[in-house]
Amino acid sequence: MSIDTFPILSVVTFLPLIGAIVIGFLPRDRPDLARWTALGASGLAWIFSLFLVVGFLPGRPGGGFQFVEQADWIPAFGIQYKLGVDGLSLVLVVLTTTLSWISILASFGPIKERVKEYMISFLILEVGMIGVFLSLDLFLFYIFWEVVLVPMYLIIGIWGGPRRIYATIKFVLYTLVGSLLMLVAILATAYTYAQGHGGSFQGAFDFIALRDYAATAGFSNNLQMLAFAAFFLAFAIKVPMFPFHTWLPDAHVEAPTAGSVILAGVLLKLGGYGFIRFALPLFPEAARTYGPWIIALSLIAIIYGAIVALVQPDLKKLIAYSSVSHMGFVTLGIFIFQPQGMNGAILQMVNHGLITGALFLLVGVIYERTHDRTIAKMGGLASLTPVYAAVFGFFMFASVGLPGLSGFVGEFLVFVGAWAYNPIVAAIAAFVMIFAAGYLLWMFQRIFTGDVSEFFASLGHHITDLRPVEIVTLVPLGTLVVVFGLFPGLILDLVSGTVNSVLGSVGAATAIHLLPWQ
Amino acid sequence: MAWADLVTIAPLAAAILVAAAIVVVDMIRPGGRTAALIVSFGGLAIVAGLTVLTGGTPASAFGGTYRVDALTTFLDLIFISIAALTILFAPDYLEPRGLPIAEFAAVLVFAMTGAMLIAASADLLVLFLGLELMVLPGYLLAGYAKRDALSTEGAIKYFLLGSFSSAIFLFGLAFIWGLTGSTRVSDVATHVAAMVSGSAPFSPGLAMGLAFLTTGVAFKIAAVPFHYWTPDAYQGSPTPITGYLSVGPKVGAFALILRLFVGALDPAKADWLPVVIVLAALTMTLGNLVALTQNNVKRMLAYSSIAHTGYMLVGLAAYADGRIGGLEGLLYYAAAYTFMNLGAFAVIAALQRRPGVTSQLETFAGLGRREPILGILMTLFMLSLTGIPPTAGFFAKFSVILPAVQAGGWLTVLAVLAMLNAAAAAFYYLRVVVYMFMREPTGEADRSPHGSLVWVGLWVTTALTIVLGLFPGPLLTMVGDAARALP
Repeated sequence: MSIDTFPILSVVTFLPLIGAIVIGFLPRDRPDLARWTALGASGLAWIFSLFLVVGFLPGRPGGGFQFVEQADWIPAFGIQYKLGVDGLSLVLVVLTTTLSWISILASFGPIKERVKEYMISFLILEVGMIGVFLSLDLFLFYIFWEVVLVPMYLIIGIWGGPRRIYATIKFVLYTLVGSLLMLVAILATAYTYAQGHGGSFQGAFDFIALRDYAATAGFSNNLQMLAFAAFFLAFAIKVPMFPFHTWLPDAHVEAPTAGSVILAGVLLKLGGYGFIRFALPLFPEAARTYGPWIIALSLIAIIYGAIVALVQPDLKKLIAYSSVSHMGFVTLGIFIFQPQGMNGAILQMVNHGLITGALFLLVGVIYERTHDRTIAKMGGLASLTPVYAAVFGFFMFASVGLPGLSGFVGEFLVFVGAWAYNPIVAAIAAFVMIFAAGYLLWMFQRIFTGDVSEFFASLGHHITDLRPVEIVTLVPLGTLVVVFGLFPGLILDLVSGTVNSVLGSVGAATAIHLLPWQ
Repeated sequence: MAWADLVTIAPLAAAILVAAAIVVVDMIRPGGRTAALIVSFGGLAIVAGLTVLTGGTPASAFGGTYRVDALTTFLDLIFISIAALTILFAPDYLEPRGLPIAEFAAVLVFAMTGAMLIAASADLLVLFLGLELMVLPGYLLAGYAKRDALSTEGAIKYFLLGSFSSAIFLFGLAFIWGLTGSTRVSDVATHVAAMVSGSAPFSPGLAMGLAFLTTGVAFKIAAVPFHYWTPDAYQGSPTPITGYLSVGPKVGAFALILRLFVGALDPAKADWLPVVIVLAALTMTLGNLVALTQNNVKRMLAYSSIAHTGYMLVGLAAYADGRIGGLEGLLYYAAAYTFMNLGAFAVIAALQRRPGVTSQLETFAGLGRREPILGILMTLFMLSLTGIPPTAGFFAKFSVILPAVQAGGWLTVLAVLAMLNAAAAAFYYLRVVVYMFMREPTGEADRSPHGSLVWVGLWVTTALTIVLGLFPGPLLTMVGDAARALP
């Protein structure tokens, strides 16, 4: 097998599945074996995904897909097994594989019950997430999209907190309503395509064929409006956009730490990815029509998330609502149809994955020691655990958007794009930055500064500083936050082809100036 | 009676012989389990072999009243699988309760014979004959635990409403016969076509006949608002029999619909399309809403089976709107539903192997810890019934929704409604998973092992549930041939 025919995308996607199958045969009384196998499988998937980065040629014009694998699957309906990668999916796949092994490593300590089942669920979750980012066939995409649901349902429902069953069922029902309607829209789109090609379903689920069809013949206005609405619902629930966000705080609070990391780090990105990859290129006119409304919802999400985060008594819930606010920047950046905005949105997705993932890991650290997340009970932690306080502070400032760290660049690019779209929108979004700084700094102050609280004092020696394994999980995330903060071009160069191609299809001007000082 | 006729009806004749042979074997060695089972499985294998052999070439027998085509073969294979799987699952449940196995197997094979006769009938009277031959053993089976008050109550309800609906159905047949002067399906179709096209005088009697037929059939498939017998009959019956009742008579009644509505009344389909749309919408919505509140898993699956009837009707509606894909979807759905639902009932039956264990949700508490494999398999069946890929249930939904979307208009609205229903259904299916994996077991675990027959059946249904979801190609070819065999 030569290097050109090696099915690297399938390998990256299904390596975790092989790990899951192996774990299924391991003895139940040896949880360590299951843990290390899971880490090994996800680590291998990570390494192979890094090979992808090395082999990827960013220069290809028009957002072309590389490493494409294609095989007939259900020929009667023209359904294919088709994988491919472009800059956008590459970035998100590497984000997924990175966060996956970190999450699995972070679960070594906290997960002591039913370790086998946990690791199997986690690896299948990883398969689903990678598959969503790599699928170039709408049917295949839908399958992976739904595959993600089941392991997350189990992870929250079995290993979650006290109200886990309520939270996990809410999560599943919200997501299913959106995704099942999306299935109807996918079928309608495929059928319309088949009608335009003499009734043959050949290529009707192929994303590239559909995109080209949308760019040349175009789908009818009627179909666009309805199908976009269905896609929008599915993706908006995942992002989650206001007012579809109410499942998120519940799911986050009840999920185990690693579940929260993946939820915030990758699952929310599935929505943003879906908008950029599918909704905009396939239904450009509908996107332009609905755009202003979605921008309005994004602004509401940005403001609402920040305000509600300000008053949360629970540390995890605070970060969950901050996610709603941060993801509002992502949808804002996408729907202003400006190159800076969309580049910023993608950057923001990656940054939010890294930073919020790290923050959830840090919340997990304190929760594991105290079994409590109530901010009011905390205080003066900096004197007890200085390293922890420093790391927490670092990621908190990254989340606030401190220049030099990656959070800043994404939000800044969204501002630039928003300014070009409408200065008032930009002003509102920028104003919320103050809130963001407010709730995060206030939280930090309440937890880490001042005198040691009675609650912490009563726990005494249980409160220990970061352990080596915890540092191992946090260091890669911190490094990437600094690297992407200083060199955002590493990501922007990869995704600019996709951005230009998508914006070309929705008909906005594709200016080249990504950063004003370039 | 020509030799060729005998060849054509060979599978049916063999099935009757198998049923008779089981009875005879039981008379020679009363109460013997092994002999009855060997005869049953051996006989069913022969019937299946004959079905495949004779199914290759379309043929008709007895002056055109009996017809074998690709649809007959496909449906027969489903009926044989249902009978075989039910006989695999039943002994472990029936034996501890002192219920005889041989009689059960014989009655079941007779019911299967009736279903096979429906699938092969080209004459309205034969159709009715097959229907009665299928449902009469069903009444017997529902009351099989005759000392159990619930079982008897369910059986009586099933019997009364069943015979009532049969009478209504027969009344409708009489109208059709009176108007067309023939009971042959093809003659009826010609007459109806003439009437619809206006070359023959239209008669309100046709509408009356259609209404009676629709009502009778709606009872049989348990479509809302003719579903009231279902929950009691399902909950009361011994669990493996409930599993059979939820798929056997249902697929049989759909065979009847295909032969009658698609075969004979096809020219009038514009007239019955709106009725099917309304029936489908009501059936899936009400079935799901009531299933949401059930705490007994058997009763929950009874209501969910009503909902699945609704999804299958979506395929029929799409066909009535001119999409042959709707029939293919219906047949695919029938096959997928058969295997996943039988699997689910098999798990319930396996849990109830000790008399006295109820099918309440509490029985499932902590199953993932007590019997992990059973828990995982049940999860798979629940996910498939919900319609989560990559399982058979998902592709089944896909195959009925796609033609509905193609048909457009109200059919698309129906497709959207079906999907919203599927989302609501996730709640009650996943509730079982919640009990199995997210709650602690109540009471001590039952450590007695499951019989190997149960495991064989479970692995077969599991494999089919996965394979039909991942590689639907071969079955799609089969249902494509079957759907095109109809006029």
